[in-house]
Amino acid sequence: MGRADSLAKLALAYGVHQTRRRLSPPRSQLQRLLDTYAPDGLRPLTPEEQERHPQLIGCINCGLCALAAGRMGKTRLPDLASSYLRLYARLGDGSSDIAGDEPDWEAAAAACPVGVPLPEVAAMVRRLAAG
Amino acid sequence: MSQPSAHDVVVIGGGVTGAGIARDLSLRGLSVLLLEKGDWGGGTSGASSWMIHGGPRYLEFDWDTTRLSTKDAGHIVTIARNIVYRIVFIIPVLPHEKNNIERMETAMEVYDRFQPLKKSHPHVRLTADEARQVEPGLTPDLIGAVSMEEWGVDPHRLVFANVEDAIAHGARAMNHTRVVELMKDGGSVIGVRYRTADGTTTEARARVVVNAAGPWVPEISRLGGADVQLRPAKGIHLVYPHRISKFAISAESIDGRDLLMVSHGGFTLLGTTDDDFYGDLDSMDVMADEIEYLLQAFERVFPAIRRFRPVRTTSGVRPTLFKWRRYEDELSRRYQIFDHAADGVGGFVTIAGGKLSMYRLMAEETSDAVCRKLGHQATSVTASTPLPGSESDMEPAEELARRCGIPALAVVKLQSRHGSHAEAVLDDSRSGRLVCRCEPLTEAELAYAARSEQVQSLADAFRRVGLAGGPCAGAACVLRASEIVGRELGWSASQRFDAAREFVRGSWLGRAPVLGHAGWAQEELVQGSMRGLLN
Repeated sequence: MGRADSLAKLALAYGVHQTRRRLSPPRSQLQRLLDTYAPDGLRPLTPEEQERHPQLIGCINCGLCALAAGRMGKTRLPDLASSYLRLYARLGDGSSDIAGDEPDWEAAAAACPVGVPLPEVAAMVRRLAAG
Repeated sequence: MSQPSAHDVVVIGGGVTGAGIARDLSLRGLSVLLLEKGDWGGGTSGASSWMIHGGPRYLEFDWDTTRLSTKDAGHIVTIARNIVYRIVFIIPVLPHEKNNIERMETAMEVYDRFQPLKKSHPHVRLTADEARQVEPGLTPDLIGAVSMEEWGVDPHRLVFANVEDAIAHGARAMNHTRVVELMKDGGSVIGVRYRTADGTTTEARARVVVNAAGPWVPEISRLGGADVQLRPAKGIHLVYPHRISKFAISAESIDGRDLLMVSHGGFTLLGTTDDDFYGDLDSMDVMADEIEYLLQAFERVFPAIRRFRPVRTTSGVRPTLFKWRRYEDELSRRYQIFDHAADGVGGFVTIAGGKLSMYRLMAEETSDAVCRKLGHQATSVTASTPLPGSESDMEPAEELARRCGIPALAVVKLQSRHGSHAEAVLDDSRSGRLVCRCEPLTEAELAYAARSEQVQSLADAFRRVGLAGGPCAGAACVLRASEIVGRELGWSASQRFDAAREFVRGSWLGRAPVLGHAGWAQEELVQGSMRGLLN
């Protein structure tokens, strides 16, 4: 009984939906989505970043990049690169962590045992942190 | 045997339901003993999808269930406001799926009527191009998408917040304590006999014993001479140590089930399976075909999924109510409260079935049943009483970070676990140094967990503060963490080493099934870092 009632109500809702779609021309709702969730840090990646994403987040947090870049023990990039990437939805909250001088990205990337392209990582982190 | 104790109620099972019952009854002024054989939230609760959702799938079966589920999700979101976070789904629609885009949007339009009950936004509809603009990893084959909003929560923290509040209101709560016998007098259960981690056996008398043991409900019921039958269902998740997508994504499996890929803070859960389970509840293996079932489904909507490297799996068993024949989703998450007086066993109540999203309501109704038996008049206040850490607004992470001298991201993570109590954790600190960089987790928070949050092993620390849950899989932190926890708990040097070894061995069970080519390379590195721990 409950199921029959539910399906009947859904059928009615479907009819109303189809009628509304016919009577009012569809308008883009994309901006509404982005505006609604901007405070939650849901900023899309670019298509280029998405394509490279598996490489960009391949970090296994071994810490060798920080050693190579002379940043061991610091809390900025690159030694916490993977943490920043994992939390990039909240980077706005942590932007002070990535302020300051630039480490030697090329040296850091050369030391990475899994080939994470660290200069690209840094660029993406900074772009996302900037909002 | 040590000194027996007496309580109004003994609750067996420290998952979210048992912890919720202990809290509810404590807030009503009853004396409660809560017992958990493993760690808080270490069973089904911890193996969940980490979501407080409203149950849109129930719209096909019973709108009242959706309304109830959404309303209770709203209560949880209110009382745990500092540890919940929004999860926004993009639901892609592919050609020839069971629901076309118009049907899917109709369902979301109906669901939108319930969304305000849990403080969620209505859906939006996206064209194929728009969907790929916000989530570029989606397949070019899609014909459109709709959004849907739910809430995420760390179930381990949710369980512990309930335990913590129960203790604050007078309850005793003991993890790593196994109930070995239900004491009976005539036909009634009058208490429990339990064994603690150090092997001591103790008695606790109670006017009512509540069986909230999740999938272990039948086992505990039998101890009391009652019979509750479940149809346990195994579910696994793949865990990726990064955010794979900005938005959560759903996909349809080969057998028409809805699967989810959800990023929680810094990691991603992809799941879940739902298979009848007949094996040992305390020893579950993840099978290669279960992993393939999940990846096959997601490859259709997110083609690059196999290029990402999972680091481990989770597995758990749902305590689904018994029903012969094929499951229907509307039934599979229902719950039932059994007063075993009807079977001739007095003083014994069981709660079975249900889901994380309705734990508070399940706890309230079970507590109502207990209070009726005890003739206790107090009503539940858990719908409006904040959990620890959600009583007041949180300080901006940047400010707390500056004042305490730790990275802002470490503060963000600290607040996600402790809410407005974060500063108290740091105030109690000895060091703001990071012990687990993946998380990132400070030494202060780990020491606090060992001292004040009933952490008795490194696996407990993983559940309480996320230790070693990230991409390094413990290689960078497990030995140091063992030193910190051991210092707090008075472990000897060999006990510290043994604790690290036990943790590495335990976590290996969840990692082995998902090691691909890059995974094995990492495993070599991890084993090198942990030389001696795997022998």
